[in-house]
Amino acid sequence: MKKISSVIIVFAIILVASFTVIRTASAEEVKITGVISKIEIAADQKSAIAVIKDNKSSESITITITDEATLDKFKDKRILEGDEIRTKFEKDGDKNTSKMFKKTAGC
Amino acid sequence: MTGRIAAIMLGCALLAATAIAKEHPGKEQILKDGYQGPKTCEACHPGKAREFLGTVHWKHASKVDHVDNLNPDEEHGMKNRIYTMCNGNDIVNNLKEVPPNALGKTKFTGCNTCHPGDHASDVGSTGPQAEQAIDCLICHSSKYDFSKRKPAKDKNGNVVMTQDRSTEAAANIGRPSIKNCMACHEAAGGGAMIKRGFSMAKDAEVHVTKGIICVDCHQVKNHKFPTGRDPNNWAHDGIYMTCVGECHTSKPHTDADYNKHTEKIACQTCHIPKTGGAFSKDFTKWEKQANGFYEPSTLKREVNETAPVYAWYNLTVSNTPTFIGPKGSRTDGKSKIYPFKIFQGKAYFNKKNGQLLSMDFAPPISNGDSLAGVASAAKILGIKDYEPVPGWQTIYFGSNHQVTPKNKALTCANCHAINGVLNFKELGYASKEIEKLTNPELYFEKLLKLQQENE
Ligand code: HEC
Ligand code: HEC
Ligand code: HEC
Ligand code: HEC
Ligand code: HEC
Ligand code: HEC
Ligand code: HEC
Repeated sequence: MKKISSVIIVFAIILVASFTVIRTASAEEVKITGVISKIEIAADQKSAIAVIKDNKSSESITITITDEATLDKFKDKRILEGDEIRTKFEKDGDKNTSKMFKKTAGC
Repeated sequence: MTGRIAAIMLGCALLAATAIAKEHPGKEQILKDGYQGPKTCEACHPGKAREFLGTVHWKHASKVDHVDNLNPDEEHGMKNRIYTMCNGNDIVNNLKEVPPNALGKTKFTGCNTCHPGDHASDVGSTGPQAEQAIDCLICHSSKYDFSKRKPAKDKNGNVVMTQDRSTEAAANIGRPSIKNCMACHEAAGGGAMIKRGFSMAKDAEVHVTKGIICVDCHQVKNHKFPTGRDPNNWAHDGIYMTCVGECHTSKPHTDADYNKHTEKIACQTCHIPKTGGAFSKDFTKWEKQANGFYEPSTLKREVNETAPVYAWYNLTVSNTPTFIGPKGSRTDGKSKIYPFKIFQGKAYFNKKNGQLLSMDFAPPISNGDSLAGVASAAKILGIKDYEPVPGWQTIYFGSNHQVTPKNKALTCANCHAINGVLNFKELGYASKEIEKLTNPELYFEKLLKLQQENE
């Protein structure tokens, strides 16, 4: 049993590792700060998109958010349209997937 | 033993589950009559509002007797302390609108935004008006609309904190969830996870993975919150707690080798191997943001990215202008080794008496002028004779959450290998003892056996 499970684990690691390589090859990580101009929660409540106007470039960027904690903050309005946020996202072709999404705050 | 622990965890989880499932008996009444603030609750829960006014959550202070250089007859806490994680307090950084910045923009700032009052009834206020100002729902409602809780100006131009007092929020009452507590605790120290890397996400704390929430561990009675002995959490409601208590004994392991260590080593040391958040700030230098406002420059890391520093701690605190941290030693018979996050902050000290000065953030937020912030704070506090000079302060923060899964807890070689996490010399062990403590003899057989079992 131990043997089999460790074989499976090794395979899983290889699988994950190979995915990571492929992903990092095409995906790049971007950080921006900006004001949210739109939040749209998907019908199934499992994801949302937010449009952020980048403070630096003034460009509007659409980011997909899937982590539960941030979705929750959209739902109970702890994060709102008009709030300024800092985000780190993975850019993969046309799709930007949020890795971090936090309200900016001074001390 | 494992069975017992499982049973407790199941118990805790069930408790949490039933609390969610059970409907609040006051619901119908509230739906019928609406919510008029605490007096609505007091119709069925008399005395709760007045009781709350006596707690740390309302007063942001209490008498403190375990910290050096404090007057034990006075109350201390976020209300009036000064340190360099946040170089002010509720008094000098009382909620206000900052002067317009270069882009003509203004905003509200103040420490007491994390106070469950409405600012008209502020930190430590008393009397019937204060009782009715309490935001019971921020802790008790599962349907709180946080967009309704914000600083604003009322019709007389006074700055107030608004609340969600809707019937919808009041009709959904229960025990506070993690989310309720995190409304304030997540952003302590100037932003999400800044002060302690304090995340209660499922993957950041093993108890949360098991469904255990804040109030399962912090067993609040009559709004008195038990707390621990983090060297920078001074104010308390008179009830202390630690890992050993309702849920764990001081000998919780089936393996006696671990239990032997618990007399000298705190549970947190092995079970919370990482900490995080900000590790340094400079309040003399504010950085301009793209929105035209300034922020104190801050070096920070992720939630679980920082290796802690280990020190003996006898639960009393050294407090000088340049150092706030644990007291204790290997030999005092009372100390254990605890993990800490070291934070170093730069701010202004008064050259005339060596004391740390505080800062009103409103001026530097708007134009980056930190000395104007010091001048404004001095004026508020009536300090006339001062000469600000920049300097550093070192602070130790306790590391009491972010318990890791047990297979990632520190084990023999993490400490007893030559390059282990403990600096035995700094901890007061003599060379001869260190030789013995870093000899594989101590753990070789055991780890070999474990390795064989896992192969
Ligand atoms: C019509 C009466 C009534 C009103 C109004 C009322 N409650 Fe209750 N509440 C009860 C009863 C009955 C219980 C269950 C017995 C107990 O725990 O005291 C209860 C229980 C609670 C509990 C414990 C819940 C748990 O799951 O452990 C909390 C917290 C609570 N109420 C808060 C409030 C708050 C806050 C308000 C105001 C928004 C309020 N109640 C208004 C009757 C009421
Ligand atoms: C987002 C909510 C929030 C804001 C805003 C906030 N604090 Fe706090 N603060 C907390 C919480 C929660 C704690 C206690 C828990 C902890 O230390 O992790 C705390 C604790 C403290 C303590 C330690 C108190 C004690 O009893 O020893 C000090 C000092 C402090 N804060 C200073 C400040 C200052 C100065 C500001 C404003 C410049 C500020 N805080 C703004 C949430 C906040
Ligand atoms: C800072 C958060 C906080 C605020 C604000 C707060 N409570 Fe509580 N309250 C708690 C916690 C925590 C418990 C304990 C819950 C548990 O473990 O079951 C509690 C328990 C209760 C209970 C049930 C147990 C008891 O002591 O009877 C009632 C009723 C209650 N609160 C009413 C109120 C009312 C009314 C207000 C506003 C005047 C209020 N609370 C404000 C945190 C809060
Ligand atoms: C309205 C903001 C707010 C909310 C909501 C809140 N806290 Fe706090 N809490 C604070 C602040 C601010 C302090 C620090 C006050 C000080 O030390 O002067 C604090 C201190 C504490 C302390 C240490 C002091 C003590 O009273 O023992 C504990 C423990 C604590 N909170 C737990 C909780 C839990 C659990 C919840 C959820 C039921 C909660 N808090 C909800 C703001 C909040
Ligand atoms: C698994 C149990 C557990 C959970 C869950 C938990 N705490 Fe704690 N907490 C503790 C213990 C134990 C201490 C004190 C340890 C000591 O000093 O020995 C503590 C200390 C604290 C302190 C004092 C400052 C510090 O960090 O030491 C605050 C504030 C606090 N907890 C708030 C919270 C809040 C808010 C939540 C939920 C978001 C929470 N805790 C969840 C066990 C828990
Ligand atoms: C010297 C390091 C060390 C200290 C000190 C320590 N532990 Fe542990 N603990 C471990 C390790 C390593 C494991 C995992 C062991 C294993 O799975 O065989 C563990 C396992 C556990 C478990 C899971 C037990 C089980 O059988 O599933 C609990 C609960 C626990 N510890 C609680 C505590 C408490 C409470 C304290 C303080 C009284 C404490 N520990 C102190 C290293 C330590
Ligand atoms: C968190 C670090 C840590 C871990 C993990 C740890 N130890 Fe220790 N151990 C210590 C410290 C510190 C001492 C000295 C305690 C004292 O001063 O009494 C010690 C003492 C000992 C001693 C007594 C040595 C002597 O001569 O007095 C033995 C034996 C020992 N450890 C074996 C182990 C084994 C076996 C494990 C794994 C099961 C282990 N330790 C895990 C830190 C650790």
